[in-house]
Amino acid sequence: MMFETFFTDYYQSISETLLSPRKRVFWGYLLLAGLIGLIWLKWRTRGSWSEQLRSILSPSVWWSESARADYKILLINRAFMLGIAPALFTQTALATAIFLQLYELFGSRPLPASLLPDWGVAICFTLFFFLLDDFARYFVHMIMHRIPALWAFHKVHHSARTMTPFTVLRTHPVEGILFGLRSVCVQGISIGLFLFLFGDQVDLVTVLGVNIFVFVFNVAGSNLRHSHVAIHYWPWLEKILISPAQHQIHHSTLPRHFDRNFGAVLAIWDRIGGSLTLSEPETELKFGVSDRVTAGEQSLKNLYLAPFGEAFRSLVRLLRKNTQQR
Amino acid sequence: MQLKKIVSAVALASVATFVQAEGKSYADFPVTVKGYQGNAEHSVAYTGQMARHTLHNSLKKLVGSSDGTGSAEQLAKLNAYFAGKDAGRAIIDPRSKDGFPVLQTEVDQLSKGKNLAGKAYKGAVSGWPGSMTGQEVLAFMLEKAAASEKGYDKLHGLDYVQLVSKFAMGAVFYNQAVDNYLDEKLAADTKPNNKAYKDGKPYTGKEHVWDEAFGYFGAPAHALELTPAQVYNIAKGKDLQAADKDGDGKVSLYTEMAYAHAYYAAAADKGGKTNYLHTITQAFVDGRQLITDADGKALSDSERAKLREYAAVIADNWEKVLAEAVFKYAGSTYKDIEALNAALESGEDVGKIVRKYAKHWGELKGFAMAMQVSGKDLGAAGVQLDRLIGFSPVMIGNTQITGIDADGNYQQSNTVSLDEYMLQMLKVQQLMVDEFGVEARGKDVLASLDNLVEKLGAKAAEAEND
Repeated sequence: MMFETFFTDYYQSISETLLSPRKRVFWGYLLLAGLIGLIWLKWRTRGSWSEQLRSILSPSVWWSESARADYKILLINRAFMLGIAPALFTQTALATAIFLQLYELFGSRPLPASLLPDWGVAICFTLFFFLLDDFARYFVHMIMHRIPALWAFHKVHHSARTMTPFTVLRTHPVEGILFGLRSVCVQGISIGLFLFLFGDQVDLVTVLGVNIFVFVFNVAGSNLRHSHVAIHYWPWLEKILISPAQHQIHHSTLPRHFDRNFGAVLAIWDRIGGSLTLSEPETELKFGVSDRVTAGEQSLKNLYLAPFGEAFRSLVRLLRKNTQQR
Repeated sequence: MQLKKIVSAVALASVATFVQAEGKSYADFPVTVKGYQGNAEHSVAYTGQMARHTLHNSLKKLVGSSDGTGSAEQLAKLNAYFAGKDAGRAIIDPRSKDGFPVLQTEVDQLSKGKNLAGKAYKGAVSGWPGSMTGQEVLAFMLEKAAASEKGYDKLHGLDYVQLVSKFAMGAVFYNQAVDNYLDEKLAADTKPNNKAYKDGKPYTGKEHVWDEAFGYFGAPAHALELTPAQVYNIAKGKDLQAADKDGDGKVSLYTEMAYAHAYYAAAADKGGKTNYLHTITQAFVDGRQLITDADGKALSDSERAKLREYAAVIADNWEKVLAEAVFKYAGSTYKDIEALNAALESGEDVGKIVRKYAKHWGELKGFAMAMQVSGKDLGAAGVQLDRLIGFSPVMIGNTQITGIDADGNYQQSNTVSLDEYMLQMLKVQQLMVDEFGVEARGKDVLASLDNLVEKLGAKAAEAEND
């Protein structure tokens, strides 16, 4: 019975990954990304449609050692996340606590429907949530790069040598937990605050049941950021939105590209933080943590276990440094 | 995951028990008393409890029609159904009405010489000013009700129809069942199963103890055959077909009517999120079967242990039914104050809103007090509940009852603002969630919260990188 439930849930979780418009690698988004990539390549480079299609679907990308590791990690992580999920989802409790705290702080709530009309509330909520979520993604991502103990785990994502849309799920479980906590905070804060101000009026503007901003981001080919199709935008737009090419720079092995472009959708956070780099269409990029390929770098054992040792050592170093300074 | 496993295991277990005795009525259990000489065919008897249910229903109607004079005559009218035991008392509610004829018209037709006062909680009630026992609180409320037109004290916002009814259900029915019959009377040497309850009776000590507890719950004997919606309607005097199990065209107020907390269990379950009515009734039926199976012999320790398990299921779920009601009426009260604030702001007439507020508050208070008479100490939760709700609703001008003087007059003072009181109502809801795990959650002030979490993607943990 226990195993049966587990496998049902597991199967459901995997199929949902591809079938739900809420997920980045929803088949519809993948198809659109492929189409956008194809048109881009046809326009920017020489070659017939079929040649371009072959290059997009090339097994040297989709079935490389690195890509195969992506798939395995996806399958393993799903099982892991199922196990810890209930402990992680406390956004309801957080939202309630924030709601009550605000109430204590201000002593009263605005009268129902007294501040904005329903549609205004929905737009504000959707926008607020999108901005907070995008900022939180940028912030946590930056931290993962700047703190050595966290970088040890985030490196798993950066160790991809070839990139496919599924590389987005190439994540160490420890990082997965941090992402979970991040969403709990973002959801808890947004819901708690807006419920306090607007009560039952709060709603989300959605398309196909998905936050409209997430939908637009994904329809516009978000999946190409993890691919070899280097779509870039006009420089002015790349100062507002992160283009696929800019994210590929984030994955580049060139030292001058290290720790650049942390943002998910908006480029403004990187601009404020001084970490924005515009795309470089002339530069040939290689992906990975460094140029040097080491044996066994794509092995599951290495990907899952090595970060613990590395994180531990970096913490010990930090501790030593601190005690020496005293 | 762990939770899911537990839930599915529990679901499976409950399905299993359900299949075991599906739809069994709480009726027709055979006589097991050894050496019984009489001609009774069955051993189930809880007429006294049903008489008290009709006393309670009738008392509620009487309070609602109080002339407000406070005269000895008016008070005596009310007391006849509270402390009186006189013969010939008419059942004022439930009464026959179009499409819903009832069989009995006098309390004595169910059981003679019964009252509510004699069975009301004798412990101290902390949720009401004046350090009184449950019984004294009810008597005090009736005195006040006799002096309040239609049982409503406009000045203090006290609705005695609701206060008396909701607290009496707790102080008499819930207390008697949970604190007495399902507790100390399950001991080995109290009302043993190898003797008749009283000489010449067709039921054993334990059989009758269990029956009496069932009677206080207020469910129709065939509740397991009925949906919560049907039981709800029966209590409202609506669904004759569902009620009339024996097909005689009339509703027996003994076995076919729904009363008191069985009605509130059905009300909560109607929403489909909970299953209190059937869970409680099933435990009663299973416990009764266990006693019957002992066949007139004393219950063994293991049998009594099993019986106590059923009793615990009943007590836990019964408490949850009360907690659900507290949750719901705290939400109603919150929304009433919200409406009151809006009306004050726009200068509209607030009379009707205040009346509704007082009604909902009375229900809230009555249920909150009822929760604390089960013999179980609610500890900090009980103290919080009393403090958050207070002794009366906060009125316009931020006044609230804070005590009574030596003559029994209410003392009012400024406590909190209406806005702060709203927050307290919200905290009451939160308390019911945290301490009692309510799930039906009627009138949830934060109802849209779960909805939003779902919309934002409840299971956002994707291990999705950027």
